Amino acid sequence: MKFIELLRTAFQSLKTNRKRSFLTIIGIMIGIAAVITILGMGDGVKKTMYDKFGNSKQGQQTTEIGYSSVDMGSTVHGFTEEDIANIKTEFGSEFKDVKIEHDSLINSKMTIGDEEKSVSINLEKKPEKSIDLIAGREITKQDLQMKEPVAMIKESLAKKEFGTAQNAVGTSISSNETTYRIIGVYGGGSKYDQYGTLSAKGTDVVVPYKLYYDGQNANEGDVIKLTFPQDAPASKVSKKIAKYLEKNGSAMNKGTYTYYDMEKELKAFSSQINMITGFISLIAAISLFIAGIGVMNMMYISVSERTQEIGIRLAVGATPTNIMLQFLIEAMVLTVTGGLIGFVLGAGLSHLLAPLLSLGGGIKIKAHVTLNAFLLAFGVSSAVGLIFGILPARQAANKNLIDILR
Amino acid sequence: MIRLENINKYYQQGDSQFHVLHDINLNIDAGELVAIIGESGSGKSTLINIIGFLDDKFEGTYYYNDEPIHDYDRKDFSKLRNENVGFVFQNFKLLRDVSVAENVALPLLYAGKKRAEIKERVSEVLSKVGLAGYENKLPKNMSGGQQQRVSIARAIATNPKFLIADEPTGALDTQTSQEIMNLFKELNRESHTTIILVTHDPHVAEQCERVVTILDGHMIKDERNEI
Repeated sequence: MKFIELLRTAFQSLKTNRKRSFLTIIGIMIGIAAVITILGMGDGVKKTMYDKFGNSKQGQQTTEIGYSSVDMGSTVHGFTEEDIANIKTEFGSEFKDVKIEHDSLINSKMTIGDEEKSVSINLEKKPEKSIDLIAGREITKQDLQMKEPVAMIKESLAKKEFGTAQNAVGTSISSNETTYRIIGVYGGGSKYDQYGTLSAKGTDVVVPYKLYYDGQNANEGDVIKLTFPQDAPASKVSKKIAKYLEKNGSAMNKGTYTYYDMEKELKAFSSQINMITGFISLIAAISLFIAGIGVMNMMYISVSERTQEIGIRLAVGATPTNIMLQFLIEAMVLTVTGGLIGFVLGAGLSHLLAPLLSLGGGIKIKAHVTLNAFLLAFGVSSAVGLIFGILPARQAANKNLIDILR
Repeated sequence: MIRLENINKYYQQGDSQFHVLHDINLNIDAGELVAIIGESGSGKSTLINIIGFLDDKFEGTYYYNDEPIHDYDRKDFSKLRNENVGFVFQNFKLLRDVSVAENVALPLLYAGKKRAEIKERVSEVLSKVGLAGYENKLPKNMSGGQQQRVSIARAIATNPKFLIADEPTGALDTQTSQEIMNLFKELNRESHTTIILVTHDPHVAEQCERVVTILDGHMIKDERNEI
């Protein structure tokens, strides 16, 4: 008999017993859904870690050392060209590259009127959405690309310096030899967000990112990024550099240099996740085992209910192998269907639950359901069908024809 | 075609063995219409099961077209049944929840035939037994006579060399019985199908050209009727 006919027969007899088939599926479905949910979340955490802090695709590692000044609004930068040069001479053999990382939200000095003032600056890479424009116009995408020397200032700053918002438009503001034309005034929100960092919508000044870091400003910053070869002890060296900066950094008196070992932290987090994954997988394995016994039970009942059918099939020429395959395929159709439904449920559930794992405002965790997870669901559910279906199927095949037909 | 020599058959009943068939010697040629009659419990069904390759546990030798069947295993028996025998049972033995067409198609499916081919053959045999157009009916909605016709259609679907019928008219009234018998006779006459049937109905037996009588597991008579 052709395989496709065996499949048809299996579907047909499962259809005549819809309710029972469905109930049998549920066990497998829940087991697989649990495994996929947990795997999806676990892989999501791992992927987040890998993307952010792990080895990059070229086989490099990167770390960051940050500087924070004691005074929150301070415009002193922790790293200058001199610091970079010092780090290079001191530790040059231990890393591949060091660069000053530029934030897009900074505190710095700018000259407004004739006065130098400390202001918070939003360095735009693309136009801010839904800005509350009060006078003039917004900075456009083209301004940003063409490095037009334009700026927008906050309403409160405009009123303080120029009396009204309208007066501010057309005047200028400068920083390190670059003079920006003020083209718009906006009503901003509060300067700091809930985590105490600068908020993009609340800064005093908005200028194009590319233009700002074109000049002198490129050589100063609060974060440096270190790149290491793949096998280098990145974490150890970074710690050493941070210590060195504490003693020799250009701004050591006004703040602290810290190497925040994100990777280590995430590794600890991910090992916790691995433990939870392992534990829940164990429970899921038990549930799959129980579901498998359910399948076996149902198949035994089915075999004894359908003794006549087996007899008829054998009489008209079915071989014992045909009969065994028919019942085995029925069991596998049940479990694979359960497995696939479970996979879809699990994938959905992991996407719903993964964001709950996110750490504060820092790192967002997204579920990551892989092809491997799909193959696992498919493989495990077929295996359950095979393992728990084979005994009932063999019993069906070995029935004594004479006893049945008598 | 069929040659049975010294066939003995035992059933295990608890600790004791029950001797059902004693030294049966029987030859059946192609094209014969044979009735096996006897009291119930005489062993006639056991004999017909052995002839029809349903029972592979017996002592003695069975040559089918000079092939030594007694040496075959279970899988070979399945193939033999599929290719050579059609079965008609007293209680029809149809799959009650699937259509007439699917029932008749069963032996053809196990023979590995193609769907299109099967469909054609099914309507052909259904019209042969007088049930043309009944393809999509369910057996449970049909009368006994009709169900028996379906089972005959299934039996002849693969063009078997011989038909085995175990009390084919046992569950039918006299008139329907006669219709079924006429169908058998027609198959025997026109398609030269060998038919071996078991019955205890003398009316059925007297319409067969050869009657074999079994009593307590012994073959006591083997006569030919003038028809």
